[in-house]
Amino acid sequence: MGLTVLCREFLTTTRLAQPLGLVALILAGWSGGAMAKDLFPYSPVVRTLDNGLRVVLVPFDSPGIVAYYTIVRAGSRNEVEPGKSGFAHFFEHMMFRGTKRFSNVEYNALFRDLGSDVNAYTSDDVTVYHAIFGRDGLESVIDVESDRFMNLEYSESDFKQEAKAVLGEYNKNYSNPENKLYERVRETAFAAHTYRHTTMGFLDDIKDMPNQYTYSLEFFRRYYTPTNCVVLVVGDIDVDKTFALIGKYYDSWEVPAYEPAIPAEPAQSETRASHIDWENPTLPYVAVAFKVPAFSERTRDSAAIDILAELLYESTSPLYQELVINEQKVEELSVYVPSRRDPGLFLVYAQVKDPAHLDEVRDRIYRAAEDAASTPTDEKRLGAVKSNLRYSFAMSLDTARSVARHLTFFIGLTGEPSSINDMYRRYDEVSQADLQRAAASYLTRTRSTVVTLTGGSK
Amino acid sequence: MRTPKFTVGIATIFLAGMMMMIPGHVRTEPASVPSVTLPIKTSPLVTFRIQFRAGAIDDPAGKEGLTRLTASMLTDGGTRQHPYQEIVELLYPMAASINATVDKEVTTFYGTTHIENLDRYFELFTEMLLEPRFDERDFERVRASQVNHVSKTLRGADDEEFGKQSLGVMMYAGHPYGTPNAGVVSALESITLDDVEQHYARVFTRENAVIGLAGGYPVGLPDRIAKAIVQLPTGAAARGPLGTPSAIQNVEVLAVEKDCLATAISIGFPIDATRASADYYALLIANSYLGEHRTFNGRLMMRMREVRGLNYGDYSYIEHFVQDGGSTFPLTNFARTQQYFSIWIRPVQHQHRHFALRLAVFELERLVRDGMTQEEFERTRTFLEHYSKLWAQDQNRRLGYLMDSRFYGTDDYIATLPAKLDQVTLDQVNAAIRRHLNARNLRIAVITRGADDFLQDLITNKPSPMTYEAEGIPADVVSEDGVVAVYKLNVNREASKIMDAEEMFK
Repeated sequence: MGLTVLCREFLTTTRLAQPLGLVALILAGWSGGAMAKDLFPYSPVVRTLDNGLRVVLVPFDSPGIVAYYTIVRAGSRNEVEPGKSGFAHFFEHMMFRGTKRFSNVEYNALFRDLGSDVNAYTSDDVTVYHAIFGRDGLESVIDVESDRFMNLEYSESDFKQEAKAVLGEYNKNYSNPENKLYERVRETAFAAHTYRHTTMGFLDDIKDMPNQYTYSLEFFRRYYTPTNCVVLVVGDIDVDKTFALIGKYYDSWEVPAYEPAIPAEPAQSETRASHIDWENPTLPYVAVAFKVPAFSERTRDSAAIDILAELLYESTSPLYQELVINEQKVEELSVYVPSRRDPGLFLVYAQVKDPAHLDEVRDRIYRAAEDAASTPTDEKRLGAVKSNLRYSFAMSLDTARSVARHLTFFIGLTGEPSSINDMYRRYDEVSQADLQRAAASYLTRTRSTVVTLTGGSK
Repeated sequence: MRTPKFTVGIATIFLAGMMMMIPGHVRTEPASVPSVTLPIKTSPLVTFRIQFRAGAIDDPAGKEGLTRLTASMLTDGGTRQHPYQEIVELLYPMAASINATVDKEVTTFYGTTHIENLDRYFELFTEMLLEPRFDERDFERVRASQVNHVSKTLRGADDEEFGKQSLGVMMYAGHPYGTPNAGVVSALESITLDDVEQHYARVFTRENAVIGLAGGYPVGLPDRIAKAIVQLPTGAAARGPLGTPSAIQNVEVLAVEKDCLATAISIGFPIDATRASADYYALLIANSYLGEHRTFNGRLMMRMREVRGLNYGDYSYIEHFVQDGGSTFPLTNFARTQQYFSIWIRPVQHQHRHFALRLAVFELERLVRDGMTQEEFERTRTFLEHYSKLWAQDQNRRLGYLMDSRFYGTDDYIATLPAKLDQVTLDQVNAAIRRHLNARNLRIAVITRGADDFLQDLITNKPSPMTYEAEGIPADVVSEDGVVAVYKLNVNREASKIMDAEEMFK
């Protein structure tokens, strides 16, 4: 649900498998606690240009292959004005519309001739532009990428055309009732904060996008600035030479920083609820969303919340076993807890087989959270979750692209690649008491929003 | 700074891939079970892909969906030793899973484990294949899930997939490929647990199995797997010839009525070319030029989305294509002995559906009529030579491609692709286009609101002028729009029909 990654079209991969020899050793010796080694086995080099642009470089043995990421620390969270929901994602599309030096056709041709794969995606907090290509193309890519971040230029006509492609993206996504459900959950759970809308945005705002050309220029000025971006390069690179090239092409980028006034969300004091009548046939859904704090790798709160999601609602949880396996009242029970820069949502949702069971399933979702607050978690299960987290992470570091994606996630949240190791230390430190405290503090009815969806009779 | 030293590992992958071309060297056959192996000594991961020559074409009449249901009983059901929930709990700390893909002719069980967990994972994997529990409650759950997938998810939650599946059914009507792999509702509801057990014994046999293994596994593992696999039920696949798909007379339309936001369109026709065919590489270039999946290189994408903003994307294919998650590239192990050409038009606003469909066929006709120029040919071939190096970036995909190569009886597809492309000439490409592609005899599935009106518009070739909110549309585009707006599609009224969404896959 809501996991649809919004992107302009391109997607990336790397060339060949990356053996993970070091990760094996690290896992075997990884005992956690204060003595724990870094679980992320690479050491990013972080340097900053005079204009404030941070550059993160990670040599990685992907012979001949380089992953080049530009992380803009702005997403739908930054859409603060009314009527502008979905704009960060729309702007991601516009970034491919060319400059005076490189038209969109020339931009596409450059990456085509390199045989590379380029794409971008937008989420609540970040917009990420990425490309995978052969090492020999590095300077060309730095040239063309820096050029569009500094000198983007598009006509109003191009702007209107691209707005239609974005509407097409909305249309392709919204035949799925889960997207509508997620949209309503956010709209109901938040009253002020921009997390109230999805990254895709409200349909009315998307339809109005063709009229927002002037605002788009303002959006670019605000957020596409050197201090709000991070360039990340992973792969077959020489650190010093790569940094020198980035300096050569980005040094002249001078745009003042902008601090958006993101509205604070007032405290929630009672359960909120909403219902959707879906016109087409579907199994009914119930979603329960709890307000949880902003991501932090400095305390154990975020780690405890992530672990609670696994313990209470994933496939090994007692609730999953009861509802999905034994009683078979629920087709699928899922949990989605995206880490966010500001307080966000802990979302549990169930595809229920019979609408008569919607209330019961909702109550059992609550009860699982309440039990976690009152009763210590079994140590063995906690150990299994920690093991799962470690192996999931270690097994996913197999390409330059996947290493870049992990780093991008944490750079987006904190700006710091070192957060990745800090977070895995927090996971390992989480205790039974931390889990009880987090469940009691955050997974409560008064902090929750319930949305149900039932299908048409056709 | 700790920089891993992986050079040896990469070399091993490459050599292993190249050695696949040498019969008997890597493609070993311990204990009579054919295998495809890709040793990567420095990899801490081990990937299993156990494939059976069994698929939806083996579903008995009236039991469509049985192969997929049987596979799901293995991956989502218990074993004799462990109820399903215990299996989940045993796999969970390893962050490992065992999944299956089911297509027309092959079913592949696959998963990857960290080497530290290899023995436990291997035991579970083989246990799930060899000793399925066939528990009645598991069966009820798995069957209900598959029925819901067809009746609710497919019809109700994903119009693009709905369109593709509708095209598949329509394109192969009367042919063994002609039912959805997940089956149809009435057949699924008639399937019993006995049916599943008998089908398991009939199709997931040692004679139908191929072992695939990649990564840093110990020397003896291929033999251990082979010794396990030979304990499967015995029996070879008894299949008749597939036969030829029915001939297409002009443009045949299946218009599915659904209350939807936008119109999903899929166009296709069977072709007489697979990866084993002489024309394959020429067609690969032609197709990349017309509609390379999820890139801005293809003409369809450029003319439909980039120039006109009609939708999110427009692509074409010369073989069955299932995207691998959020990536650009296809899942492996959907190999078929017969393939088809298709165009996927992502949802367009209803008012532009007729124009969009016309424009796609207009572009296809242009390709068939004019072929490619030398420059277009060279540019596209160079792109593919580089781009194909991105297709198998991890050991799971590399192994999958190797197993597909075995299916088609070809050299290592990924390793030899650049050299094969290099041998292709422009004349061969244009001849292959004329031989295999056409813009006259098409099958088209649309998911739309107002299907009746749309079909009438198509039959009568009602003009469909394109309109823009933007000003300043280039004159050549406006001029071409005028041509496309009245472009004639010769729709075969008798062979076309309207269906309600609820009637599909019933």
